[in-house]
Amino acid sequence: MSRAAASLFPGLRAWWTMLVISLEERLAYRGDFILGTAMRFLPIVTQVFLWTAVFAATTRSDIAGYSRTDIVAYYLLTMVTRAFSSMPGLAGGIARSVRDGSIKKYLVQPVDYVSFLLAARIAHKLVYYAIAIIPFAAVFFVCRGYFPPVPDAATIAAFVVSLMLSFLLGFFMEATLGMLGFWFLEVSSIIFAYMLVQYLLSGHMFPLDMLAAIPTGLAGVSVADLVRWLPFEYTAYFPAAVWLGKIRGADLVRSLLIEAAWVAVMALACRIAWWRGTRRYSAFGG
Amino acid sequence: MGRYVSIFLTFARACLVRDMTFRANFVLECLTSMGWMSMNLAFYLLVFQFTPEIGKGTGWTREPFFAFVATGLIINSIVQALFMPSAEELTEMVRTGGLDGVLVQPLDAQFLLSMHRVDFSSFANGIVGVGLLGWALARMDHTPPAAAWLLYPLLIVCGVAILYSLVIMLAAATILLGRNQSLYDFWFYLTNFSRYPAEIYAGPWGGPLRAVCTFVIPILLVVNVPARVIAQPLEGHAWGLVALAITAAVAAIVISRLVFQTALAKYRSASS
Amino acid sequence: MRGRAIVFPYTPRMHNTNGESRPAAPVIEVEGLAKSYRVFDKPEGLVASVKSLFHRSSRVVEALKGVSLTVGRGDFVALLGPNGAGKTTFLKLLSGIITPTQGTARVLGHVPWERADDFRRRFALVMGQRNQLWWDLPAAESFRLHREIYRIEPARFERTRDELVDLLGVKKLVLQPVRDLSLGERMKLELVAALLHEPEVLFLDEPTIGLDVVAQHALHRFLAHIQAERQMTIVLTTHYMKDVAALCRRAIVITDGSILYDGSLDQIVDRFTTHKIVTLDLDDTPAADEFARLGFPCEIRGPQVTLRIDRQRIADVLPEILRGRQVRDVSVEDVPLEEIVAQLFRSGAGQAPRMQEARA
Repeated sequence: MSRAAASLFPGLRAWWTMLVISLEERLAYRGDFILGTAMRFLPIVTQVFLWTAVFAATTRSDIAGYSRTDIVAYYLLTMVTRAFSSMPGLAGGIARSVRDGSIKKYLVQPVDYVSFLLAARIAHKLVYYAIAIIPFAAVFFVCRGYFPPVPDAATIAAFVVSLMLSFLLGFFMEATLGMLGFWFLEVSSIIFAYMLVQYLLSGHMFPLDMLAAIPTGLAGVSVADLVRWLPFEYTAYFPAAVWLGKIRGADLVRSLLIEAAWVAVMALACRIAWWRGTRRYSAFGG
Repeated sequence: MGRYVSIFLTFARACLVRDMTFRANFVLECLTSMGWMSMNLAFYLLVFQFTPEIGKGTGWTREPFFAFVATGLIINSIVQALFMPSAEELTEMVRTGGLDGVLVQPLDAQFLLSMHRVDFSSFANGIVGVGLLGWALARMDHTPPAAAWLLYPLLIVCGVAILYSLVIMLAAATILLGRNQSLYDFWFYLTNFSRYPAEIYAGPWGGPLRAVCTFVIPILLVVNVPARVIAQPLEGHAWGLVALAITAAVAAIVISRLVFQTALAKYRSASS
Repeated sequence: MRGRAIVFPYTPRMHNTNGESRPAAPVIEVEGLAKSYRVFDKPEGLVASVKSLFHRSSRVVEALKGVSLTVGRGDFVALLGPNGAGKTTFLKLLSGIITPTQGTARVLGHVPWERADDFRRRFALVMGQRNQLWWDLPAAESFRLHREIYRIEPARFERTRDELVDLLGVKKLVLQPVRDLSLGERMKLELVAALLHEPEVLFLDEPTIGLDVVAQHALHRFLAHIQAERQMTIVLTTHYMKDVAALCRRAIVITDGSILYDGSLDQIVDRFTTHKIVTLDLDDTPAADEFARLGFPCEIRGPQVTLRIDRQRIADVLPEILRGRQVRDVSVEDVPLEEIVAQLFRSGAGQAPRMQEARA
């Protein structure tokens, strides 16, 4: 027991150092950072204007259950989800370190590569959003009129859980993609295809409820019903929809279970990919 | 002048040869840009399930709107193909001192720095745009008059000129400030505003935004004016917009060149 | 108040067929040229990083402090100095890449930083380790591009190109993309490109850096040849003594942005060093005091002994040292350039350079 505890402290110390270095790096590009964070909200501005114009030309009061104000709240909430679930450079970084051989040191060291990456991501995100929370909070405050009343405790709890799960889901999906670098030389096209599908089906562009208007060939089944079973919507759409109360009761529980299941599946896939990938890598002399 | 054309053709030919050597990569890049584009088109089709028009009484119903999108594809693909590759390399050139080598040559630096690389795969989107335009025009109720057909290519050139000037201003900033990554993100966000018809910017916030983006940084003139000319009746204030677009294009080129020359005069050069 | 530079009056002279000499119009005239700029301090540590969000301290760096000199047609001049001395800054000013903070300069009658096309067509700049060739193109294409940019007449271009390619022996390399070639090969191609338009002035910035000995030697031979043949004015910056010894009679020593010495090369070594360095490789480590009795500064590192012996006395002392000793190897060398320069700095410049602390 004490040996485990002893190994925990150097790990913590290393993690803290990672945190501090991340912070210094972040602050070093100060001009970039302040400007960059504020600018992330700009595409939402355009989308909001677009939907306003859409509503202006139609007699409907809501589209797929979203009023004009709901849509603004929706986009802002997807920003929050994506703050948790987006993993810039994760897949590409893994693939690159396989390609240029720098992955070797992780095969030799008594450090679990996946856990290391996860810890590094947590550190990086904590640091980033500790500072980015200022512009985020400012924007949310200015736009507070667009939000419906704060939901009840159970919904908030579900929201928080869905955010945590979306972080893990995003991480394991991209990590597994990166691991494909053990088998394929040019993973970038696969990553790109993933990004494309994600872009459309994650709810990044529009609330996925709108897909309910599109039928599939099957009776009574819309595209939205199918998309619910895929992991993509949990990286942007789902937590936002939970907060806004678009998914309730049994549906909510079911979706949370699907999300958790996907996290488990991808975590397992990642682990298997790492295990088989490193075996293959060592077999080829690295 | 002829010298510049033939030098540009040499650069273009070299890039084409290189692209054809790495053919698989080239095809992949074409598919990449077309992939993003199709996602957006799917989105627009979805939007039109819920509304007949973008903005009340603006005239941007489905087919005119797609003509708008097509115009945007054409203009952006020209800029992405001809100017962005060189501009993106500029940060690297400033960092490694490659810019020094450009400054000692008896050739206009702005020309060299903005046009020495051509990305042919970016033309793919433009070609799709032309096809999309054809489809939209065929299905539209409105038939463009002869004047519109003449003005359209001219206004496309004006749109490209305005975007080019913005690229040059960003390049000037890069030269003055050295590395600045968010400057190119800035480009993405700026051009993001010009993706939709200017009419969507209405209301207490939208109005001023529209004015700024029309008269100060005229990105809203880039796609809107040619699209309007070809897809909407050519009357009234549309002519005013045409004049404005042409003036803005000329002014933009002149101003951006002045800014760029100033940046070169103040160039620091990486320390050896 | 700066120390006086030790300058030997050096007026470029041309000799006409009668053997009389008359002063020629200088190709390069520099008067009081200075360049300084503001550098922002990088924050160290977390607290400093946070502070840097609000204000940043900066200081003014004087890269060049009031340099004056003259170079005549056909001169081959070396700018010697340690890293950071200002050599490259000086060259960049003369080629018009940057503008000075103070002072004037004229090259071939032009003010360089006005970047007139007429001026740029008459000189060439080659920077070691930095490419001016287009990476993706094979060198042959770069040359063609060069012909268009510099408006070289086609027949003349082909003749010059073929001549240079032959001289440097790069015929097989011109069709390969530049990025595939080694540093030495690239440098040769850079030189071809630089000389295609037959410039009257050639600036070379550390051209031998990163090259192996064979390549350096080839470069020296080439430069000597073309300089003699075309009466080109060449200014070369380097921190290698070899480059200078092989090529030029006139050396200009720059440290910390000022000229410390401007004159003939032979005289630097003769005038500024009083001793030579004798290195002995012995079989075993000698006793600490074995050489002390000679009275010369002595350094013992294992079986290697380094002595500093007065020039005049070497002929006497050396046989005495070698007598009766098992010596594997002995070498007698001049004091390294860096040392001479450092010495020059101490004796000539006087005080430390000025630097101002300023708040942004």
